[in-house]
Amino acid sequence: MIAENTQTQMRKGILEYCILSIISRGEIYASDIIAELKKARLLVVEGTLYPLLTRLKNNGLLSYTWKESSSGPPRKYYQITDEGRDVLARLDITWRELVFAVETSLQAKTDEEH
Amino acid sequence: MNKTIIININSIVFHIEEDAYDVLRSYMIDIKKHFGNTPESKEILEDIENRIAEMFSERIHTGRKEVINLEDVQQVIEQMGRVSDFEENDEPIGAEGFRQERRAGQAPHLEYVGKKLMRDPDDKILGGVCSGLGHYFGIEPVWLRVLLALFFLLGGSGVLVYIILWIVMPLAETRADKMAMRGENPNLQNFKKSFDEELKSFSQNFSETGERINRGARNAGNLVNAGLGFIGKMIAWVMLIFASLNILGLFIVFVFSLMNIFGLENPIYFPPLELLATNDALIALIFGFLAMGIPFLALFLWLIRILFKTDKLNSYLSLTMFAVWIVSIIGVIYYCIYASMDFREKSTINVQRDIQPREIYYFMEKDIRALDAGEKDSLRSKFNIQPNGKDLRNYLHNDIAIYFESIDSLSQPYIQYSYSAKGKTYQLAAERAHNIVYEAIQENEGVLFPSHFLLKQSTLDRDHQVRVTVHLPQGAHVILQRGIENKLRDISYKKCRDNYPDSRQQKYTDWVMTKTGLSCSQQPTPEEDEE
Repeated sequence: MIAENTQTQMRKGILEYCILSIISRGEIYASDIIAELKKARLLVVEGTLYPLLTRLKNNGLLSYTWKESSSGPPRKYYQITDEGRDVLARLDITWRELVFAVETSLQAKTDEEH
Repeated sequence: MNKTIIININSIVFHIEEDAYDVLRSYMIDIKKHFGNTPESKEILEDIENRIAEMFSERIHTGRKEVINLEDVQQVIEQMGRVSDFEENDEPIGAEGFRQERRAGQAPHLEYVGKKLMRDPDDKILGGVCSGLGHYFGIEPVWLRVLLALFFLLGGSGVLVYIILWIVMPLAETRADKMAMRGENPNLQNFKKSFDEELKSFSQNFSETGERINRGARNAGNLVNAGLGFIGKMIAWVMLIFASLNILGLFIVFVFSLMNIFGLENPIYFPPLELLATNDALIALIFGFLAMGIPFLALFLWLIRILFKTDKLNSYLSLTMFAVWIVSIIGVIYYCIYASMDFREKSTINVQRDIQPREIYYFMEKDIRALDAGEKDSLRSKFNIQPNGKDLRNYLHNDIAIYFESIDSLSQPYIQYSYSAKGKTYQLAAERAHNIVYEAIQENEGVLFPSHFLLKQSTLDRDHQVRVTVHLPQGAHVILQRGIENKLRDISYKKCRDNYPDSRQQKYTDWVMTKTGLSCSQQPTPEEDEE
C-alpha cells in the first residue's frame, strides 16, 4: 500500500519533467508524446496527458500551433517556450542532484552488503 | 443489422452503432464530470474530444468501413484511459487519508480508513445517514436507501437502526468535516477542489435534468429490476399473471361467442351480440375482442420486456397495435350505434276480437311450452309455424301485458290486442310486428291466455311486445286464476289474494268490474288479535 503510494508520487514528479524534455527536442503532437513515453517505458494513458499539457501551457511553459491533418480534425502541435526551457534547465539540475542522492544512498547500501 | 446514430464530435460527423453510442456517451459524461467546468477543463475536454475524433477517423479509414462499432469505442476508451486511470498532479495524498489508485485492469479496492463516519447534510433525504454511510464505504447512497426501504417494508426493522445511526453519527458541518467524511486530506488544494466541485455540481444539475428526463423512460425497466429489487419483481410478476389471465379469458369468450354466432350453442354467450345479424355480430365481436384485448396485450409485452430484459418492441409493431386498437374501438362504437338505430321506429298493430258474454269470466294462463300428452305437433297445429331446430328461445317471447277496462254494461265484451315491434324504418318495424302471433282462446267457461307469443319467422329481437286489453261490462264477475298475475298490470293481485284465509294456497281470486276497473270481491279476513 505504502509502496504503491510512494511509487505513484515518484512517477508523478518525473512525468512532467520527461514530458517537458520530450517537447524540448522539437515540435510534437500529443499522441506522439505517448509513443515516446512508451519507448521510455513510462506508461500513461492519453487521458492523463491532456490535462498535464494544458496546465503546462497555462503556466506558460508550452505553446501550441494548429496544424491541419489529412485524416481527421486539425491537431495541436506543442513547442516549448523560453520560460519552459528555463524551468527545464532547473529541473535538469534538480534531477542530477536527485540521481546523485539516490545513487549515493544505494551505494552505501551495496557497500554494506559486501 | 443494427441501428446507427449520427453524432458529431467538434463538428466532425460520425456514424456510430446504438450500443457503441451508449457506451461512448457515458464515458464522455464521466470525463466531463471528472474535469469540471473551469475554462481550463473546457480546453482539456476539447483536446480529448478531438483526439477521440481522430482515433475514430483512423479506424474508419484503415478499416474501410462507415460505422463506429462497440469494439472501436472500447479500444479508444482504453487508449484514452478511464477516469480512474488519469494520474493527475493534485490528487490528495496526505499522511492520513489516502486513496488507492486503480490501475487499468485491477479490481477496485475499497476506500477506507482515515475517513470519518459522519452524516452528509448536502445529500440527505431524512438525516443524511445513508449518504454518510455511502461515503465511508464507497457505495452510492441510493443502494443503502433501497436496502433501508426494504427493511422498513419487511417488518420495520430498519427504522431502529437508522435512528441509532442518526444519533451516533455527527453532522458534517464545516468544509473540513465534509472533506474528512470523504477521506480527503484537508489542505489548500483540496479546499479549492471541493469548492469548485460544489459550483460545478450546481450548474450541472440543470443540464443533467434534461438528459435524465430523456433517459427516464428507457431506464424504467432498469429501475424496476435494480431499484425496487425483489418487491418490484414480485409486483411485476403478479401483474403479468393478471394480464395473461385476462387475455386468456377474453380469448375464451371470443371463441365461444364465435361458436354461438355460427349456431353452435354453448353456455357462454354475450347477450348484446344477439341483437345483431350474423355478419354484423361477427365483425362486432372481432372489434370488441381487439378493443379489450390489445391494452392487456400491451401491458403483457411491457412486463415481459421489464422482467426478461428483452428488446423494446419494434416501433412499427407498436404503432400498428395502437392503430388497430383505435380502429376496433371505433368499430365497437359504430356497432353500438348501428344496433341502436334498429330500434328507432316503433310500429303497433291493433286487432280486436269479441268474446262471448258469460255469467262468470274465468281468466287463466296456459303455458304453451308444455305439450299435453297426445297432442302431436302442437305448435304447428295451433299456430301454424315450423320451428326449424333452433332453440325455442328464439321463437317464444313473453313480453306480454294484460289490462282490464270497463265498458258499458250492455255492450259487447271484447279483447283488444296491440302487437308492436321496433325497426330502423317504420316499414321494417311494421313487418316485424306482423310476425307476432298471439291470441286468447275462449274454451267453455274460461279464457286461456297463452304464456308466450310466437314469431312466425325467427327474427332478431327487436323489442317485440304484446299488449292485451280486456274490455268487460260493468258489474261482470271475474275470476282470475293463479299464474296469470305476472302479466296483469294495474291490478294488485297479491293484495286480493292476501284477503283470503289461506292466501298462499289460494288458486284463484274473485273480482268485480267496476267503473274504475277490477276490484277485489273478497273482503279481508279480520285480524286475530283485533279488539
